[in-house]
Amino acid sequence: MSSHREAPEISKDPVADSSDLYAFVSPDEPDTVTIIANYVPLQLPASGPNFFEFGDDVLYEIHVDSNGDGRPDLTYQFRFRTELRNDKTFLYNTGPIDSLDSPNWNRRQFYSVTKVNAQGKATVLAAKLPCPPCNVGKVSIKNYGKLADDAVHKLETGEKVFAGQRADAFFVDLGAIFDLGTLRPFQDQHLIGKTLFKGPGDAVNATDKLNVHSIAVQVPTHLVRRDGKKKVRGRDPGAVIGVWTSASRRQVQVRHGDRKNDDIEVGPQVQVSRLGNPLFNEVIVPMAQKDLWNSLPPSEDKRFVEFVEQPELAALLPVLYPGLFDNLAALNKAKTPRADIVAILLTGIPDGLVPNFQNSTGAVQADMLRLNTAIPPAQTPNAFGVVGGDVAGFPNGRRIADDVVSISLRAIAGATVPLVDEKFEPDAAATAVQQGLSIKDVSKNLLERFPYLPAPFDGFNNPS
Amino acid sequence: MSRVHYGTRAASRLSRRRVLTIAATVGVGASAAGVAGLSVAGEKPVSGDSAPLVLSLRDAKKGTFDVFSGGSKVTLTDAKLAAQLLKAVKRA
Repeated sequence: MSSHREAPEISKDPVADSSDLYAFVSPDEPDTVTIIANYVPLQLPASGPNFFEFGDDVLYEIHVDSNGDGRPDLTYQFRFRTELRNDKTFLYNTGPIDSLDSPNWNRRQFYSVTKVNAQGKATVLAAKLPCPPCNVGKVSIKNYGKLADDAVHKLETGEKVFAGQRADAFFVDLGAIFDLGTLRPFQDQHLIGKTLFKGPGDAVNATDKLNVHSIAVQVPTHLVRRDGKKKVRGRDPGAVIGVWTSASRRQVQVRHGDRKNDDIEVGPQVQVSRLGNPLFNEVIVPMAQKDLWNSLPPSEDKRFVEFVEQPELAALLPVLYPGLFDNLAALNKAKTPRADIVAILLTGIPDGLVPNFQNSTGAVQADMLRLNTAIPPAQTPNAFGVVGGDVAGFPNGRRIADDVVSISLRAIAGATVPLVDEKFEPDAAATAVQQGLSIKDVSKNLLERFPYLPAPFDGFNNPS
Repeated sequence: MSRVHYGTRAASRLSRRRVLTIAATVGVGASAAGVAGLSVAGEKPVSGDSAPLVLSLRDAKKGTFDVFSGGSKVTLTDAKLAAQLLKAVKRA
């Protein structure tokens, strides 16, 4: 979760594995939208001598759909290139790194940014932008914050970009959830857990003190809207964008073993990873179709609508927690299609269901992170987003501190059914269930400015 | 300074010229039957005889080849070339 190693094939290809996607109106720059795509999940900070990096053989993309057809109207492409300064050493750095052009930094990465418009016209916005180094440790890098600041690049076209290592700010109790759906705060009410536990337990953030590689772009809002307007009303369909990220590899690779430089990678790019809404491929799509889903664009997601209308997890909850989800069980038994989940994940929430809110992109069913760009950042954000009364949060885009696991659990459990069926009464547990974690369970503070994700955990202080 | 490459570095073993040479040696001319549209916008086509090229025989009976080069895939149909290559492979 939310998409760390979520499908069989991509779990074996971490360099191309998208783990989280965030999209929000920038709190300190409300005329811009920030989109962050995380890759290379679950990095141990102490990873020498070969520290983590982006794939030079991977095409990373961030897509924006501004007209609701599930196809990109704007794409930012990121291509990386690794350079060695010294091919006689085994070391990542041969001395302290105090700048992005430090001669002591042996293995550096650079990237280009290409913008592709709705007609497929590509424009290279920048080339050879330096990434910051991995956070080796305090002996090698005294002032990591300065290096990271220097790696924020303002483009002439108005965007800010950053690509490099960050702390993973996603919080989830992976160990419990994938142990037959156990939620530690409710472990003593679990079908099997009640025979093992005498009371509730404290959740554990499995992704704490791990790093990721982030690609972040901050875009002036009018550049992502369909009509290019600087000001729109929240009810205007043109205020809503759909966002997803993808990673692709060349269709053919020929390896030559000892003649590495003769290796061949040719052919069209083939998509191997995709991420829109958190958890979509993770817990909605059956394992047998997860790799297929990763290869498709959102415009093909009608193929998966049956799994959204009848989520497997909704059927499991009444079984795993006997007596807590009886109303949900009745809903499941009636095989009522979950129009609420379809709206949240595939079409957006239409106007009129939630006061002063809509993020509908129309009838096309496509898994995209939908953001109403006219809704300003919340003064006091609620981690439960829209279900917590904060329409600036998930599923209106996704902020870093949003508790998407708990929000999704509540929605699947039936808390959002009244949006489409006012007669349905959610189980008390549906509005109370949570994983028991928050952004405070991430051992680093978020930044108050772009790229918002914290500096990566360093190897010296996080040795295991 | 040496550079690390994992991308579209020109290959010396299997070049467009070499594949064309192989085709000429077995005395077959291939005909283009279609072009797949999988390329991602923004990819610059790699051109020139030194660019790597890979043939994949998808259907031996019909002689359907996928030819990968640069950022594109071209589909060719040539049953005679397929038979010649299969024969060559069996000899090897």
